[in-house]
Amino acid sequence: MYRAATQGDREAFEMIIRTHSRALFAIAYGILQSREEVEDVVQEVLIKAWKTRWRVRDPEKFPAWLATIARHRAHDIFRRRRTVPLSVTINEAIEPSSAAESHGSELDQQLQSALAALPELHRSALTLRYFEEMDYRSIENILGLSNGALRGILGRALTTMRKQLRPALASLE
Amino acid sequence: MATIHDEIDNWLAADTHGELSDDERSALHTHLVECAACRKSHQENKVMNKILEETLAHEKPDPAFEQRMLAGFRKRIPQRSGLVKLLVDLMRFRATQITAVAAVLLALVQIGRMITGEGAAVLRNRGNVGSEEFARRPAQAPFTDELSALRKSENGRDKEVAAGKLGSGLGAAVVQNAAIPAATSPVQPKDERRDAAEVERTIVTGPNIPSAEQVEPNPEAPASVLTNRKLIRNAAIELEIASFDDAVQKITAFANEERGYVATTSSEKQANGKLKGEILVKVLPENLDHFLQKIRGIGDLKNQTLGTEDVTKAYFDTDARLKNAHVMEQRLIDMLKTKTGKVSDLLQVEKELGRVREEIEKMQGELKYWDSQVQFATVTISLFEKDMEEPAAFLLKERAQLALYAPDVEKIYNDIKGLASPKVQVTNAQLDRDNSGRVSARLSMLIAPEESDAVISRVKRFGRVENLQKQTERIAQGGGGMSENAKTKRDKVELNVSISREEQEQALQETSLRIRTVAVDEKAKELRNLAEKQSGRMRSSSFSRDPDGREFANVSLRIPMKNYSALMESLNALGKVENVTVQRQDRNGAQIDEANAPADLSIQVYSQGNIVSQETGLFATLRRTLAQSAAAIMWSLRMIGVAIAFLAPWVIAIIFIVWIAKRILRARQQK
Repeated sequence: MYRAATQGDREAFEMIIRTHSRALFAIAYGILQSREEVEDVVQEVLIKAWKTRWRVRDPEKFPAWLATIARHRAHDIFRRRRTVPLSVTINEAIEPSSAAESHGSELDQQLQSALAALPELHRSALTLRYFEEMDYRSIENILGLSNGALRGILGRALTTMRKQLRPALASLE
Repeated sequence: MATIHDEIDNWLAADTHGELSDDERSALHTHLVECAACRKSHQENKVMNKILEETLAHEKPDPAFEQRMLAGFRKRIPQRSGLVKLLVDLMRFRATQITAVAAVLLALVQIGRMITGEGAAVLRNRGNVGSEEFARRPAQAPFTDELSALRKSENGRDKEVAAGKLGSGLGAAVVQNAAIPAATSPVQPKDERRDAAEVERTIVTGPNIPSAEQVEPNPEAPASVLTNRKLIRNAAIELEIASFDDAVQKITAFANEERGYVATTSSEKQANGKLKGEILVKVLPENLDHFLQKIRGIGDLKNQTLGTEDVTKAYFDTDARLKNAHVMEQRLIDMLKTKTGKVSDLLQVEKELGRVREEIEKMQGELKYWDSQVQFATVTISLFEKDMEEPAAFLLKERAQLALYAPDVEKIYNDIKGLASPKVQVTNAQLDRDNSGRVSARLSMLIAPEESDAVISRVKRFGRVENLQKQTERIAQGGGGMSENAKTKRDKVELNVSISREEQEQALQETSLRIRTVAVDEKAKELRNLAEKQSGRMRSSSFSRDPDGREFANVSLRIPMKNYSALMESLNALGKVENVTVQRQDRNGAQIDEANAPADLSIQVYSQGNIVSQETGLFATLRRTLAQSAAAIMWSLRMIGVAIAFLAPWVIAIIFIVWIAKRILRARQQK
């Protein structure tokens, strides 16, 4: 399927869109944490992937390649968000998330900020796990990690968050 | 190895995510039972997991997400339709890709050929195809009717005749030319261009038609004209025959048979007894061909020319002029008879009459000559017997060349001159003495063949023979090639002698050697004594001393070969003999008196002097090695420089291209 997609088979590519766009969403979300922006990013990534599919040499690495494009694109957006005048971006980009936060409890807010404090790789791993419930092997594949590395990453991510949220957690119990 | 406790975070995360194997899980649970701290973390982790699951579920993309993505994709990248899609699909196959590449290469080659001009030939061929098409067209249906109609028309008659003669291609074009006005209407508009081309063609072919008619001789021309013509026929034939006399007899017989005659015969006898000659035969012109046929049977035909000269015009011109002259003559005669006038006038008429008569006679003679020439054809037959070139005799010419070396040139010169007798003639004798008093001589003599061997051997005894060359040449007389019957005669022997002094003789063996000793001067004197004892002669000697205190004595001497080895042995007594090189010049086949042949020795006696740098030993070797390695390093540096100079432009160019390509790619990505 990957081979067909890289050679220009449209149907194969659409199949890949169906199976992989959620994973891409999760990765980009790990960086941007804004659903609207992430959707745009995923859409752009898919189109760009179609246009530059001939650059893929090893069709087996097609998903990892997609993930890389997605990460780069998300980074670009992230950087632009910082450089564009604050007044515009904050209204545009932060508002939706802040609106979402207002609905949630204080815990939600704390969770979001704890998430935001995590390294981006950890965040991507978390989103892949909790959005798509992918198993470790698949996550490692798509993020281009070595076998068994994910266990450490998720372990650290969870522990960091736990430590930050400990007071809130205690109250919850 | 890290225990579970150390890595509890990882273990707990994997456990909550259900990524532990059964063994691992039981190990973890055992640890949790033992360790209270880890138990607490485990609890917290579970809560964390739950909260995360709940919170992040909100952020999860909705179920229609993929559909949106797909729709967006389809909108942005529209599906290709029909042919383009087919092409794109086709291009996905390896075979198609290879074919495409091959096609592109072929196209490039074709373009290259067109640029280099090979394409011109292709274009020209295409043009030919076009014209063939033109030629074929008249045969096609719409034109056949026109053609037959045209044949009937009176106007087309000339052209038809011409067409028949010029061949189908040209004729068709001509016919088509006439057919154009009628043909244009049925022909479709897109053929107009072709018609234009046809018109041009007929313009080109037009002038050919009348000329073709002119070339064609008039078929109704009366045959009588031919018979009235005055033709002089003559033939020349060259034959190789076995016997001249037989041939003459046969030719005479043939001439009689053909009512002709032999006009002249001439023959000539060669030195080798063979005959050659020429026969002039006159035969009736109508029998000429028959006669020639017969003659050819006599011998081997080498050459034949047959000529015809048409004198009809000149003949009848002269004839007409003759008639006029006759009229003139008659009038002048009348004038003489009737007129009576002054004597001077009569004389004038008389004079004029004489001139006209003379002219008449000349013209009559001319006509008679032509008549005789026309009446009989002339055949010139050249005959020569076989093996004409065979030589009559052979002459053996011997030449001998001798180089003599002797101590007294003048004496031998006079001795040889003294040999002169009627059978031994000295043709040239020359004695040269140059500025340094060296004498050499040259003698040339002619010796009667029977005496030659004796004289040459006597001359050889006068001195040492260096070089003797004998040359014999057989000269064929009165022809060339081989002959079985020709006699062979010995001619006088030519002998050239050159006499030189012995010193000038080249040594048979040249030896050079060095003798190392302490007392150079003393040893050099000793050497001279040794050489004289062995009947050697000094040729040159020199002595020198250089600033280092080294002394050199160069001695060059010549001794007879028989004493050579004795001298060489005695040299060992003088000192250490070094660097011996011997060069022997064997003259193969030369008659050499080996024992008395001269041998040259050049000997250098030398001392080592004060400072002797021995280029051996540890330090010398070390120094040389270092010097060589330094040189090698320098050399490799130079090579590296050259390599860089070679590669640098390419590397720079490649880097530049890659940089540009990257810039372009990045620009496209940004889009």
